[in-house]
Amino acid sequence: MFKKILFATSATRASDHAARVAFNIARAYHARLDIFHVLGVPSRGYSQVVVDIKTRERVDVDDDYMAWVQDEITTYYADYLKNGLDYDIHVAVGLPAREILRRARETEPDLILLGGSTEEEHDGVYKKTVAGTTLQKVARAARCPVLVVTRPAASFWGGISSITFGTDFSKASDKAFEFALKMALTLNCELHVFHALAITSLSSERLMSQDDIEQKIREKLRVIRARYEPRLKTLKQYTMEVWEGIPYMEIVKYARETHSDLIIMAHHSRKLETDDRAFGSNVEQVIVRAGCPVISINR
Amino acid sequence: MPEGTYCNKKPINTPEEVNFLLSDSSGTKYYEEMTRLDVDTELLVSTIEKTMKTRLKTWLEICAHCGMCADSCFLYQVNGKDPKQVPAYKIQSTLGEIVKRKGKVTNAFMRHAMEVAWAQCTCCNRCGMYCPHGIDTGIMFGYLRGLLYQQGFVPWELKIGAGMHRAYRAQMDVTDADFVETFEWMVEEYEDDYPGLTVPVDVEDADIFYTVNAREVKHYPEDLAEAAVLFHAAGENWTIASKGWEQTSLAMFAGDWAACKMQVESVYGAMERLKPKRMVGTECGHAHRATVIEGPYWAGRPDGRPPVESIHYVEWLAQALESGKLKIDPDKRIQEPVTLQDSCNYIRNHGLKKATRTIMQHIVAPGYFIEMSPNKEHNYCCGGGGGFNGIGVFRKQRNRALLTKRDQILATGAQLVIAPCHNCWDAIRDLEEEYEIGIRWSFLKPLIIKMLVVPDHMKPEE
Repeated sequence: MFKKILFATSATRASDHAARVAFNIARAYHARLDIFHVLGVPSRGYSQVVVDIKTRERVDVDDDYMAWVQDEITTYYADYLKNGLDYDIHVAVGLPAREILRRARETEPDLILLGGSTEEEHDGVYKKTVAGTTLQKVARAARCPVLVVTRPAASFWGGISSITFGTDFSKASDKAFEFALKMALTLNCELHVFHALAITSLSSERLMSQDDIEQKIREKLRVIRARYEPRLKTLKQYTMEVWEGIPYMEIVKYARETHSDLIIMAHHSRKLETDDRAFGSNVEQVIVRAGCPVISINR
Repeated sequence: MPEGTYCNKKPINTPEEVNFLLSDSSGTKYYEEMTRLDVDTELLVSTIEKTMKTRLKTWLEICAHCGMCADSCFLYQVNGKDPKQVPAYKIQSTLGEIVKRKGKVTNAFMRHAMEVAWAQCTCCNRCGMYCPHGIDTGIMFGYLRGLLYQQGFVPWELKIGAGMHRAYRAQMDVTDADFVETFEWMVEEYEDDYPGLTVPVDVEDADIFYTVNAREVKHYPEDLAEAAVLFHAAGENWTIASKGWEQTSLAMFAGDWAACKMQVESVYGAMERLKPKRMVGTECGHAHRATVIEGPYWAGRPDGRPPVESIHYVEWLAQALESGKLKIDPDKRIQEPVTLQDSCNYIRNHGLKKATRTIMQHIVAPGYFIEMSPNKEHNYCCGGGGGFNGIGVFRKQRNRALLTKRDQILATGAQLVIAPCHNCWDAIRDLEEEYEIGIRWSFLKPLIIKMLVVPDHMKPEE
């Protein structure tokens, strides 16, 4: 399933849950794990000064410093690295999202694994300079699936017996479906195809009547059937469901109800917005809230 | 000790030499060795004889010590009006003394001159506008930097920066292959959103030859994609060059005259090879000064102009907006108080204030654009110009220098600062980090892209 995994880590607690999953997967699939850390963000014009992400100190980066950080990471993950794991540790300087994507372009992994937001740990000034978060940018531009683990509850990758696939019928969702189907076939597990009908807040112009809602649900179910069922038939067990509400909440609830071990969704929105609303907010909300790992797919 | 291992008079020319100097973190050994570096008086005198022309000699002599330049200098103002920060004093006590003493100056004097040349003047040339004799201290400091560089008295980062230009023809360790590869990568990343997006490489006879700042390639490659998107949206016939693509010149900040020439000749070489109608440079101030204003003289061009018409990004953008090549969605214009940083290098020194104001009219909803005071050609330096931003050993002085810009921005009440210049952008970024006044800052490209009316041929499917 996965041969080469790029695990982008802050090498701080924010990435601990993701680390557990990363090492689990690497062992389970005998995959090569590329542990990648962006140690600092360039600062001070053209100079060599970077702000170290972990210590927050301004440092002049040279080979010694890079080697030192590499050693630190080896120590941090020492317990996981034992017993013949195939891994590589690589350290870089730059804006994290850009460098992760650069690394992915070089190494062509079949999965990128990201940890949670380091927002609380570090609200550095550089974040304001370029729109969006690392997650948004990586998920938007990555050419392979991106697995994100933020909560401890989500940090388990064991025998996956149930996958929830959330669709909004976009082109990107079709791609995500392909991937979900492949995973379900490989792992021989259940696949739950789910769509959430967005019932916007009370402030919206017109409240939908319950009849309207139910009518729409029936319509969407027909779409799901037409679009996915022929291919789903290759699976032993699958379900199709449409619920109404706030999409990300419904997906999280649905995944909980179906005891899903993994959620797969498309991260398809095109434009990156400066503020935190907007772009792929459903996937992002699901990522922060879900009780299992979430894979975002884009192409 | 005449010459140190790290600190010496020899320029660095190869990637290996660059790396060697970089290995001395923060230049600790470099500056230590500098305290023992000999001054080559003979070389100093012969260089002055050969290179110090009438203009500079006259300026040194006719200064009436009237003090009109004092208040024009933001460093004088921000340092408690210290008389030692008066531009006339600063140059008379350094370059003036070297000339007066016929080059017989000490190591300590040269180190002091280095501090004055790089930490007490950003070569913003504002004082030149206020001098009744038209004496431009900024120009003179540029000259003094050349003398100091030749003697090995140059800040560590700038010795490296100039070395980068010699080794890579770029201000950072970005090779020609890296540049083209990165541009192509960015276009790949954006082509789903903007169908038909390409990056034409080495196309001859194009209407536009686009040049960049190596930092965009190294750290902010989105900027390359954004440039491509806007050229594409405007329907321009444009190209980049696989050689001679770097427009900036840290060599100019360093006073490495030979490297200045090498660097600008590589860009002019691309112009001559590709024969574009004109060159458009990225949103950078000193790059424009180096390649368009001063470069022709370094390269010895008789007409004082680059081989083809060369304009700043803001000029291209203003023309594209005025001619309707680029259309802005009026609903998406900036609708919050916003101010604009005038870059010394192309506003005061090249008169482009109208271009940036035209852009503001197109992209800011009426009533939201607030000028800084003073502005246009009278605007103050961002606080990090002339290489000041990157010099670690003068960081304290640089941070103090940011106060002028901080207060100017605060007085506008705007939280968004448009800074179409890499140096200004960096300084404003740093001032937010130092003083936390709650502002955001941006180049023009990302702002324009957000409010662009995307032509039909560029709309994605779906």
